[in-house]
Amino acid sequence: MTQTVTVKIKRYNPDTDKKPYWKDYTIELTEDKTVLDALEEIKANQDGSLTFRRSCRHAICGSCAMMVNRRNTLVCTTPLKAVVNDGGLFAAKNTVTIEPLPYLPIIKDLVVDRSAFWEQYQAVKPWLMPPDVVPEKEYRMSQEEVEAMEQAETCIMCGACYSSCPVVAGNKNYLGPHAMLKTFLRVMDPRDQVPEERLDMIANANGAFRCHQVVNCIDACPKGLNPAKAIATLGKMSLRSGRIKGERAERMKKLIADAEAASSTN
Amino acid sequence: MSDPIVHDIVIVGAGLAGSWAAMVAAREGITNIGVLSKVHPLRSHSGAAQGGIAAALNNVRPVEGTGPRGPLEQIPADGEPVDSPDLHMFDTIKGSDWLGDQDKIHVLVNDAVDILYEYEHMGCVFSRTADGRINQRRFGGHSAPRANFAADWTGHVLLHTIHEQCLKHGVNFYSEWYVLELIVEDGITRGVVAMDILTGELHTINAKAVMFATGGYGRAWKITSNATANTGDGVAVAYNAGVPLMDMEFVQFHPTGIYKHGILMSEACRGEGGYLRNGNGERFMENYAPDKMELAPRDLVSRSEQTEIDQGRGAGDDKQGIYLDLTHLGREKILQRLPQVREIAMNFLGVDIIDEPAKIQPTAHYSMGGIPTDVNGQVIRNAEGEPFTGFFAAGECACVSVHGANRLGTNSLLEASVFGRRTGYEMARFIEGGAKLHPITNPDPTKKQRERIERVMDKHNDSQAGRIAPIAEALKWNMTDNCGIFRNEEKLEKGLARIHELKGDFTKARVMDQSRRFNTDVLMALETENLLTFSEVVVAGALARTESRGAHSRTDHQKRDDTDWLKHTLAHKSENGEPVLSYKDVCIDWEKYPPQERKY
Repeated sequence: MTQTVTVKIKRYNPDTDKKPYWKDYTIELTEDKTVLDALEEIKANQDGSLTFRRSCRHAICGSCAMMVNRRNTLVCTTPLKAVVNDGGLFAAKNTVTIEPLPYLPIIKDLVVDRSAFWEQYQAVKPWLMPPDVVPEKEYRMSQEEVEAMEQAETCIMCGACYSSCPVVAGNKNYLGPHAMLKTFLRVMDPRDQVPEERLDMIANANGAFRCHQVVNCIDACPKGLNPAKAIATLGKMSLRSGRIKGERAERMKKLIADAEAASSTN
Repeated sequence: MSDPIVHDIVIVGAGLAGSWAAMVAAREGITNIGVLSKVHPLRSHSGAAQGGIAAALNNVRPVEGTGPRGPLEQIPADGEPVDSPDLHMFDTIKGSDWLGDQDKIHVLVNDAVDILYEYEHMGCVFSRTADGRINQRRFGGHSAPRANFAADWTGHVLLHTIHEQCLKHGVNFYSEWYVLELIVEDGITRGVVAMDILTGELHTINAKAVMFATGGYGRAWKITSNATANTGDGVAVAYNAGVPLMDMEFVQFHPTGIYKHGILMSEACRGEGGYLRNGNGERFMENYAPDKMELAPRDLVSRSEQTEIDQGRGAGDDKQGIYLDLTHLGREKILQRLPQVREIAMNFLGVDIIDEPAKIQPTAHYSMGGIPTDVNGQVIRNAEGEPFTGFFAAGECACVSVHGANRLGTNSLLEASVFGRRTGYEMARFIEGGAKLHPITNPDPTKKQRERIERVMDKHNDSQAGRIAPIAEALKWNMTDNCGIFRNEEKLEKGLARIHELKGDFTKARVMDQSRRFNTDVLMALETENLLTFSEVVVAGALARTESRGAHSRTDHQKRDDTDWLKHTLAHKSENGEPVLSYKDVCIDWEKYPPQERKY
């Protein structure tokens, strides 16, 4: 017996629609179908105007971050079976909802404008700044050093964390978890010569100290990374290096302690 | 944005090859570079590469006395090297089944060590040996451990690193722009017509040099490891502009795609010691490659798997798969070396590879053929090697050819990097040497493409209009069934006839989305037309090549035929639209590396 699923998709074309609206589609549920497969199937067979981004299909390119049942995720690796009926208290049976990432302008349907996201990424100068004289072969690096960077290094810049963050929602100048995770990578890199400058870049009210440690980013990250912890660590490093003084420093210390308590539960 | 947009250099594609070229040219002082990418640059498919990048760094060696598949250890400071560019070269020649040009392979392996250190100095975080050097693992067809890796996300770290460097050097990116036409007038390349996907508007870009780095064409097959973006746009666009395509019939099937999905489980799984088992639990590779076993080259392993399946010894309830068994590697090694692969198997098969084998099957993976170039990325127009002035290509869309009839794993990240970098230098020399900006004389350069798009969006005569998606689907099954791992005359004839039918269907098909903004329905129609275009070249080339060599395996011509077929296929588009085949000699050092039987 075949089971069918109602896929509720938020549609919006700013050129023709006054505001976003929901549209329902019905497809067959099979064992190995992902949410992306469902979208592809609807586009191919039912409604060619349905618009979304996707490419690699295995959580490495970062194209297909959207909201499934109100949670930010990558649709390519989300099994349809796993999200049918998990839509929360008020969700209908055999139903899954798909929406664009929140807080970002909608280009069309599930495609959002990530320009601010990329601008913040570029603003932290994500490239390595090595010393003038480089070794003949590779820099030597310990296992511990590699592991410390591994978390930040595997970020695929999908934006799921960024658009789960209520601070991003309220402050367009906030650097965002992705940019600060990149900063963390470079600060931790023994080859980088300007960690102090990098701490300067993020140790301000639009950076590490704007993070409210809501830790949505940790739940949202499809790669299991912990941007909140990285941000808290950067904040702490910046305090230790004596950049922030007096009363403000005390407040920051408290924020960091809260952050550590919050992230240690994850 | 007023047209034409003018650049010194316009590069299409922002994966490793395109980004290297852009970064190098910018570093050389060319400030006016534009890079177009169909996806955001960091979404490029180079980032999906998992297992490693080849270079004879000599950081590790097999532990003495443990045999060819034993454990590896770091080479001490005073230790003897176990690897060399020469050995890398021989492995690559043998892997290519002697179809790779040996002068070009020489360049590839000799630039390899240097480019690895450059990557490392730019910030790549590679996995390390105990003494802090770049770690290395084994890979199929390589006779020494020379796959330099970052866990199983090697391509990801390389891509992010080189993209960061492009930003540092002020390269202009046109994110989500799609190339439609290569503008060639009087034999001189003058630019491209491209679509800004966001607005749907067509633009003309006028440039002194154009480079294509648009990646591979695996999306013409149903089961493929390729990203949805890998629709071979660059090869089709170049071919339509009069550029020949080389060796298009050589398409690599990777042995370990996730069953039914095709998504890759890296060759690093076997490099780290994984087994392949048939439905009876047997390690069947001992019947096909007793020395190398699972670490034989991809063409051989894929054929072996398909043979097991075809002869009824497949795995799973339907006997249509093979098992990739990693359970004996142990939890720690899997978590440290293959974390992404584990995640993939969990997501798509619901299997934890620590405890259970994963069901896999061969999957269309890498395109050996493409736009013919010399070692500096200069595109050539014929067998004599005459340049196609102002046009350059590198990476998977190009055919240098260093992979010949079969590519060895880890040589593709290397190729994209080495030849991307060389093309960057070459284009900088070209511009600084006084290359002129040849204006586009056509008064309406976007007309042809506009009409093409209007045609697929036309709502008139709807009663006759078919849909695009079923055509793409039919093509993919056709290529899988008739031009897959095993081929023969009957299948290939049938495949070619079907492509002609589908081309006919396409002229009557229409898209559903009528808006201009971010119209991925139109995009998929244009991509489907490209798939049809180059697929015809693939099948025509395969039909003509009456031998078995590397990834091209004919059941009706099972032997390699060096007398008649030690040559590259070149396909030109004729006036009636069909490919015309001609041939080009393979460059062989007859004293040093003469063709020999390929045994593993």
